[in-house]
Amino acid sequence: MSIVTPPPPDFSPHEEEVPEFNSGTPSRTWYHYLLIVASLVFAAVSVGFIGTIVWNSLPDFAHHTGTLLGGNGWQSPTGPFGGLAMIVGTVETSLVALIIAVVIGLGTSISIVFILPRRFRNIVATLVELLAAVPSVVYGLWGFLVLAPWMLKTVIPWLDKWPFSHELFGNPGQQDGQSLLLASIVLAVMILPTFVAISREVISVVPHDLVEASLSLGATRWQVIRGVVLPTAKIGLFGATFLALARATGETVAVALVAGGVANVQFHLLYPGTSIASWIATEFGEAQGNEISALMALGVLLMLVNFGLSLISRGLVSRQRKVLAVV
Amino acid sequence: MDQEFMAQVETKVDTPTPVTSETTNEPLARGSAAMQLKNVAVAFHGRTAVRDCTFDVTKNRVTSLIGPSGSGKTTLLRALNRLHDLTPGTKVSGQILLEGTDIYRGDITVTELRTRVGMVFQRPNPFPTMSIYDNAISGLRFNGVKKKALLDEAAETSLKSAALWDSVQNRLKVAASNLSGGEQQRLCIARALAMDPEVLLMDEPTSALDPIATLKIEELMTELKKRVTVIIVTHNMQQAARISDDCAFLLMGEDRAGELIEFDTTEKIFNNPNDSRTLDYTLGRFG
Amino acid sequence: MSEINQLVETEETGTNMRDEIRQISDQFRARRQVRSRIMVTLCAIALGATAVPLLLLLYQLFKRGLPVVLHSAFYTQLPQTPTLIAPNATGGVSNAILGTLVLSLYASIMAIPIGVLVGVYLAESDSKLAGGLRVTAQTMAGAPSILMGLFAFSFIVRDLNIGFSALAGSFALAVLMLPVIVISSEIAVRGVPHTLREAGLALGAKPHKVSMKIVLPAAVTGIVTGIILAISRAIGETAPVLLVIGGGYINSWKPLDPVSALPLSIYENAKSEWPSLRTEVWGIALVLVVFVFVLSLSARIWASRKQQAR
Repeated sequence: MSIVTPPPPDFSPHEEEVPEFNSGTPSRTWYHYLLIVASLVFAAVSVGFIGTIVWNSLPDFAHHTGTLLGGNGWQSPTGPFGGLAMIVGTVETSLVALIIAVVIGLGTSISIVFILPRRFRNIVATLVELLAAVPSVVYGLWGFLVLAPWMLKTVIPWLDKWPFSHELFGNPGQQDGQSLLLASIVLAVMILPTFVAISREVISVVPHDLVEASLSLGATRWQVIRGVVLPTAKIGLFGATFLALARATGETVAVALVAGGVANVQFHLLYPGTSIASWIATEFGEAQGNEISALMALGVLLMLVNFGLSLISRGLVSRQRKVLAVV
Repeated sequence: MDQEFMAQVETKVDTPTPVTSETTNEPLARGSAAMQLKNVAVAFHGRTAVRDCTFDVTKNRVTSLIGPSGSGKTTLLRALNRLHDLTPGTKVSGQILLEGTDIYRGDITVTELRTRVGMVFQRPNPFPTMSIYDNAISGLRFNGVKKKALLDEAAETSLKSAALWDSVQNRLKVAASNLSGGEQQRLCIARALAMDPEVLLMDEPTSALDPIATLKIEELMTELKKRVTVIIVTHNMQQAARISDDCAFLLMGEDRAGELIEFDTTEKIFNNPNDSRTLDYTLGRFG
Repeated sequence: MSEINQLVETEETGTNMRDEIRQISDQFRARRQVRSRIMVTLCAIALGATAVPLLLLLYQLFKRGLPVVLHSAFYTQLPQTPTLIAPNATGGVSNAILGTLVLSLYASIMAIPIGVLVGVYLAESDSKLAGGLRVTAQTMAGAPSILMGLFAFSFIVRDLNIGFSALAGSFALAVLMLPVIVISSEIAVRGVPHTLREAGLALGAKPHKVSMKIVLPAAVTGIVTGIILAISRAIGETAPVLLVIGGGYINSWKPLDPVSALPLSIYENAKSEWPSLRTEVWGIALVLVVFVFVLSLSARIWASRKQQAR
């Protein structure tokens, strides 16, 4: 060990030698500008979308404040334009459809992930995708020309035999089978693939070693599903529910073809009714002036409901991801 | 490699030490077998993953399965509580006896088997939506136990066995995910112990933990064996040397199937193994 | 380890606890197994219940629609209104077929370039603008399609005074397709392994050249798949076009002319008083469904083939 050791070589950069390659601002090429322009166009379209409908609805809010939610019926063409019947119809059909779709959809997702042998998974996944791809007008057609007669011939007489069925569901008599119940059933078939797609995903990413751990404690297959997998996936399943509900509220032509298009505020599922979206679709063609404005107002309502449900759903799905990240 | 350990090994290679009791200097008699394996082999879709496994797991001792990765240790372990039933296309041949009963073909259901043979996994996996208490007694709940007094007692006993009671007894209702990694793993051990199994299978239980947590769990195992028979898979041979009484050394053969090379007391495996491959492995010549 | 030593002392109570646990679990075991089998069977039934509507629908479509679509007149003639003398003279749906093709063409021209570019932007940028646009796209993608019709009516038909036209319908469909293409393009670009981009940069290429020449080509499969799926969705939509295309009864491709579309023609004729029209409608539905299915399935098959080739 020498006393006089040479100082270590000086590796620090000298001022004049440092190249300025980290200037702080990214290089703005035409590529970057192109992307920004496209993004601004997209933003403009989206803002225009919301803004146009809101703007067009304002006259209705000015003239008929408060009647949008009113039950005075929809008097075309002068008003008042009461939207309560549409709101009630939307709520009824969407909720009934949701219950059916969630029960069947949950069982389906569980089957796909835990019961179905692996080689069938692709077929079932394709089946669900095709179910989702069928245009809504075709579902409406099928509902009107096939399901409605079936309901008249089979379901309604069967329901008739139950006590309290007239009080609960109504007594439609000789009608063409269009009803809120039919609309709910068709809606259920349509939102089923949405629910199954998300819930299947959420269930399948529950870590497999939780399944193994519970089996190792002596749990049966159902106990593993009910006691561990479903609670772990609970938040995501709620997300799937809200998204399916959002889809149900926005469905237009299928409901228009099978619900009957009658603007009455009533709760009996066997009577015809309407929904917000289908009412807009059927009334808009002949509407003038004030009525257009009222229909736009209904559109604003629809937008708020749909965006709200959509937002909640996405929030829940991302919360679910965080739950799994901790595991 | 640890220098001190190497030095110890090298001195002991020359002077074989028979297994003797600590107090009387007489060879220990073996206790009865908790589990017996006879020519056990596991194959996935016809491809053998591990074979030729024949040995007896003695009660109240820690038996470790060691060997380099790919040698089939975990595959063999998972056959012992029939976890392979989950994977279609898996065939387990040979005989695995639990207290004399063939676990695959004998008069015992899979669910009953798993209450008598518990398992702890490599990465701590407490049920995320359950509290510490609920996790600990989850096995009991699955099996139909509802009596609160019994559940409380089992929770306390099992958490004490896992050396976790002192630190969690005041926050039993807190979510299990709030615990540290080492504590979570001890909770998983408690969860398995609450069922009061005869055998506890452990699949590399400390490989995902830091050294201090690892040490705590190793200390635990030497106490645990008084209550249960432990079978542990570990890729850390120093760990095997520290904690196990008996050792099964597995190695992947040329046909890419793991096979049992040697089974004996840990002292013999590490000091004077019969097979040269075992010696090569314990000396760290491959891993 | 004092707690463990305590344990050894309570050996006796331990054995009692073990016996009690064993007893209870033996008692319940069979019941739990039965319950498990029942619930699992119910889930399997639910799976069947999902398959049944699709199969029933397909059965009806083919049973009632196949006879209709096998006549060439169906594709070449314009629609006619049946009369009492000629109740089966429905003509064909050439206007609707042409209309659907025209609408999807114009909508694609409007939506694809912007959609892909925005998707690429979202995948490459972490700015606040990107975050806001992503939320916007996701929200718009789920919006009820009737609202696009309202937008197109107000903006194109009325304010720009273009009237009921193919352009209005295409605009509505473009607004529908745009967020879908944005989302799928972003996913496609994000799916390209970042090691590819890093390799390009490490060779000294400029970032935007790396994006254009290395990352985008690798994402093309995903982008195209997303576009095909967006188109297949747009083809089947009735609500956006219902209000704005005018239901033209002529064969036209001019953007300012009113046109028809397959879904619209189904919607108009579903409740017709003429049985012949109600039968024809199944044929139109069959054509539409086959078209949409072929697009969806080919997108899927192509995507998975390219995935395997990698």
